[in-house]
Amino acid sequence: MYVLPALFLLGVSFFARAQEFDLLIKNGRVIDPKNKIDATLDVAVANGRIAKVDKSIQSARAKKVIDASGLLVVPGLIDIHTHVFVGDRAGKFADGIYSLSPDDFTFKSGVTTVVDAGTSGWRNFPAFKTQVIDKSQTRILSFLNIAGNGMSGDPDQQDMNDMDAKMTALTVQQNPDIIVGIKIGHFEGPEWTPFDKALEAAKKSNIPLFVECHLPQFSLEDQLNKMRAGDIITHSFEKVSERMPVVDDEGHVRPFVLEAQKRGVLFDVGHGGAGFWFSQAIPAFKQGLIPNSFGSDLHRFSMNSGMKSMLNIMSKYLNMGMTIEDVILRATWNAAKSIKRDDLGNLGEGMAADIAVLNILNGDFGFIDSGGNKIKGNRKLEAELTIRAGRIVWDLNGLSAQEWKN
Amino acid sequence: MKGGHVIDPKNRIDTVMDIAITGNKISQVARNIPGSNAKKVIDVKGLYVTPGIIDMHVHVFNGTELDAYIANGLTSLPPDGFTFRAGVTTVVDAGSSGWRNFRLFKKQTIDRSQTRVLALLNIVGNGMTSRFEEQDVTDMNPAQTANMIKKLFPDIIVGIKAAHFWGDFTQVDRAVEAGKLANVPVMVDFGEHDPPNSIEDLFMKHLRPGDIFTHTFSYGPANRETVVDENGKVKPFVFDAQKRGIIFDVGHGGGAFSWRQAVPSMQQGFRPNVISTDLHSESMNGGMKDLSNVMSKFLNMGMSLQDVILRTTWNPATVIKRPELGNLSVGSEADIAVFSVRKGDFGFVDIRRTKIKGTQKLETEMTIRAGKIVWDLNGISMPLWDTEVIKK
Repeated sequence: MYVLPALFLLGVSFFARAQEFDLLIKNGRVIDPKNKIDATLDVAVANGRIAKVDKSIQSARAKKVIDASGLLVVPGLIDIHTHVFVGDRAGKFADGIYSLSPDDFTFKSGVTTVVDAGTSGWRNFPAFKTQVIDKSQTRILSFLNIAGNGMSGDPDQQDMNDMDAKMTALTVQQNPDIIVGIKIGHFEGPEWTPFDKALEAAKKSNIPLFVECHLPQFSLEDQLNKMRAGDIITHSFEKVSERMPVVDDEGHVRPFVLEAQKRGVLFDVGHGGAGFWFSQAIPAFKQGLIPNSFGSDLHRFSMNSGMKSMLNIMSKYLNMGMTIEDVILRATWNAAKSIKRDDLGNLGEGMAADIAVLNILNGDFGFIDSGGNKIKGNRKLEAELTIRAGRIVWDLNGLSAQEWKN
Repeated sequence: MKGGHVIDPKNRIDTVMDIAITGNKISQVARNIPGSNAKKVIDVKGLYVTPGIIDMHVHVFNGTELDAYIANGLTSLPPDGFTFRAGVTTVVDAGSSGWRNFRLFKKQTIDRSQTRVLALLNIVGNGMTSRFEEQDVTDMNPAQTANMIKKLFPDIIVGIKAAHFWGDFTQVDRAVEAGKLANVPVMVDFGEHDPPNSIEDLFMKHLRPGDIFTHTFSYGPANRETVVDENGKVKPFVFDAQKRGIIFDVGHGGGAFSWRQAVPSMQQGFRPNVISTDLHSESMNGGMKDLSNVMSKFLNMGMSLQDVILRTTWNPATVIKRPELGNLSVGSEADIAVFSVRKGDFGFVDIRRTKIKGTQKLETEMTIRAGKIVWDLNGISMPLWDTEVIKK
């Protein structure tokens, strides 16, 4: 009679000590391109960080065990092109209703980090930080717009006097953990001053330049020629009057575009509402112009269009013939490298536990582009579970939940 | 839209029919409307075509007042990112604003959304600014509330909300007083009384037939009396209340839907009149997700698809006295949802992180709002990309 309680106590203390992990994801196909892992492995999380990635980690060592058999376990996805400086100004991206709250869209598509593409400039970055970055569960990084007020519309965006490389670089210096690049876009004049100022700020800060759209008077070739290896051009596969498309009328990728890619210029998808056309993307893909990252260009006018989510863009490439390993590479480690954040996009031990558990659906699907045309496909990615800093922030089918008993 | 299985509970249609849209209105619902009569033909064979779904309980007064709770705050969400992908074309904001800040809500959200946004006006003048302000009995003014509805915004405000009150029945009674003055229903969230007030008294003595009890399946007995008792039995007076005309709304939310309440209710024949989400930032990524997910839960608890559609179209339209909504009658605004029923192994989570398994899940293939395609999951309305190249 005296033995039982003693045993029970022993059991408890053993149990408590043994549960060194908060969470254990078992039996998933782990694809971690940075660490060259593609195998059935278990991933253990403790204190918000990746604690161990190994074969057969014992379930008893974790407080919570999730069975990911048949699913992909990958680093939390990184969307390097979003507009999330949401506010209440009508008709604006910066502090306006054209931007979106990231948490509304990210976790349900496996995304744990977004980069805001220059919605703020150095003048309104502090408001962006207080209002959105500090209030969101999604990790928000930022390309800082060379225009002081960011995407505040015209005439602000045309004001060359408010494009200040020094102030921009100083703001980067003050926020090195958040600002990962400088953005140029939305300038309609013929002068190269804004582009050069943005490049100057990027050089001063040793971060990439992110070249967005709406630069109608700069030729594509000139833009690419000015860009350094590691700089990023987005809306790569757009077909709009404002910029020469990368694929010519005969269906060939222009040689200077391929040259730029060879030189190290990075091509981001930047799908958006008008930035992705199969008639560009498919020939480009076949001829070797492969996007380095799958930026969604998430905003009010793309969310319900052919874009939908970064996961949907990844599914498009899967159905265009890209391998799943390659899709994951570009959605995680390549995206992280392009913004010089080696701490992201991988499942290395000690890294923040940002994890996506994905399912590949088989069936008859269709995928829409910006021109209102579609491709058919038989595979589609779905986010089963998303973990941000060790916390479950999305669980589609209750993988982590207990079954209810009557 | 040709060949779809049309479910239109108001008009008792549950069969394969074609639907024609002219401008922003439904112009014909019939068998075999010739494709040559239309500029655009969408093949919806094998899919269910229903009236645009109505979500009768959401919080969409989003804004940038960082200290605010739901009124003009970050907890409220802009509707368009959640509605169309779930087949929803009309939402009813459940009292995020009161008469003092409704105009701001209208300017900031209602006028700028593609989703049709209707509203219940909070009996508290400042709406859901914070739990603290919501207790201010001196800010519960039935005359002002009713006047704003009747005289200023009868097209948008469809009822009154009473919520989050810590005291006696004063708030509910004020709301009902306003409801009588404006001839609109009252929705009650009866959740934060310590100890809980009697819901039998609420249903039988304070509310009128047509008034709405929301968060029907929440389980938090310390603050809210439950509809199912601790032995798993639906309390007899709940059936009586529903018979009396009290409307039971799901209002899933981040804390108000437990299997231990919902499953026994369904098994014992107590069904909610209206299925709704209580969409806000704390429910969007949890067990709730979106209205099609909440509808799928009921499908997997054994409710028929027809019944699920009834409780998300014609029932809410009737409850908010908007008979022009939630149906596919010729002449109605063309708000339409197209669903597929996915088969597979699914799980559905409640707010207590327990789940049930299921084999069916509603997926929104297409949503049309006022004749315009606002969501097309798989491009069923679009040509293949190489046709663009061939045309050239």
